[in-house]
Amino acid sequence: MTNLRQVIAVGFDGSAPSELAASWAFDYAVRNDADVVLVHAVGILEHMAHEAVAEQFSGAVHDLATGVGFDESRLRWNVDNGDACSVLLRAIDVPIAATLLVVGSRGQGAHAGHLLGSTSLQLAERSTVPLVIVPAAS
Amino acid sequence: MTKLVMNAPVDDAGHEEAGHPERPDRLTAAVSGVNDLHLDDDLSFVAPYMAKRAELARVHEGSYLDELGTFCYEGGGNIDPDTYATYDSWSIAQYAAGAGIAVIDQLRQSDDAIGFIAARPPGHHALRDRAMGFCLLNNVAVAAAALTAQGERVAIVDWDVHHGNGTQAIFWNDPRVLYVSTHQWPLYPGSGGAREVGGVDALGQTVNIPLPPGATGDVLRRGFDDIAAPIMDEFDPTWVLVSAGFDGHRADPIADLALSSGDFALLATSVASFAPTSRLALFLEGGYDLDALRHSVAATLSILLGRDYQPEASTSGGDGADLIKRTQSERDSALQLAYDVKAAESDS
Repeated sequence: MTNLRQVIAVGFDGSAPSELAASWAFDYAVRNDADVVLVHAVGILEHMAHEAVAEQFSGAVHDLATGVGFDESRLRWNVDNGDACSVLLRAIDVPIAATLLVVGSRGQGAHAGHLLGSTSLQLAERSTVPLVIVPAAS
Repeated sequence: MTKLVMNAPVDDAGHEEAGHPERPDRLTAAVSGVNDLHLDDDLSFVAPYMAKRAELARVHEGSYLDELGTFCYEGGGNIDPDTYATYDSWSIAQYAAGAGIAVIDQLRQSDDAIGFIAARPPGHHALRDRAMGFCLLNNVAVAAAALTAQGERVAIVDWDVHHGNGTQAIFWNDPRVLYVSTHQWPLYPGSGGAREVGGVDALGQTVNIPLPPGATGDVLRRGFDDIAAPIMDEFDPTWVLVSAGFDGHRADPIADLALSSGDFALLATSVASFAPTSRLALFLEGGYDLDALRHSVAATLSILLGRDYQPEASTSGGDGADLIKRTQSERDSALQLAYDVKAAESDS
């Protein structure tokens, strides 16, 4: 039997835009009976153990999840090597099999006001599943 | 005696970000490695050459080139958490991309020489439409595309510790180019699995040899000799270009292979055996420990030039020897599946 449960993959790097994206995804998941996978891209310069990522952000993520009543047992982390765009696109494939991608309007290190390096725009061109770009808070 | 052809240095001081490991000192270290060989009259330089728009456009989208140029002109900044550009980066990157073309032109006129392109920023992560992984323009790809445009058959061997995802993607479906990569896995950029074997028009012409952290030179050489060498032999390249990253050295701060400068030298001899005379050029990619970079450049060029400067012995006994057979097996099965799919599609 096919599992029709939605899996929402959220780009998360600890930045304020990524927290907004996660918060939107948790809220959407509660209303749509979906699982959430927080996807963290490890770049060349991020020389940290993958396991440490979830630990580093666990407090902030806990607050975001519980703030909208999301059951954290349905939360997973995927920490993967690569640039944010490639790592999120890989989340569409098994084993994650994301049915929806969610990103903030700007991630860490990106240059505000310029198209170059925009993960959200790159994903908009390449994603084969629906993509939600959560705008920055005004 | 084999001679060395290099690109004359350009002022690259303007492409720098405080604290970033991809910095001008790297080039100084690489050139010091060349100077350690005291080549005198056996070393020649070609004049700086800025790649033309048409040469870049063979491997990069025009819109990306416009965007990158504009971004730099406006002062630059961070393109992603790894990659930066400054006001000067656009011109410096165009010189880096043109250096290979200039060195190759000189090699064509040489009786017995090899080329070394000491330029930065590095290039092998740069995609057709995207900068990433410290890379803005794909230097080796620009040179390879210039060669294929002249009817040449080009093998690119990439021994940087990171998989050259940009180069692989650019030539994924190009039967004129064989791409071989040895790299640490898992590691950035996350691509480079053994099952990635090339597009439908170039099946088998992408060869990935992932190595585990801690792998030593014997494993590296076994991977190349067992998996890549027969394919190189069959491909019979008219040119061999090397993405020569030296960040697989055990002293490098951003990766975990256990190679020495002597390992790069030994691998270089295997790679060079597939290049016709004066048809081998090495492009500097990564390498972020300055002493390791200097020694590795010196050791690699020394052995290719028939000199005897080897500051470090080769290594052995590290992890991964058992994985080479598995890599071969995974590659074979992926290739068989791809051929089956191709045959089924042509039948339908």
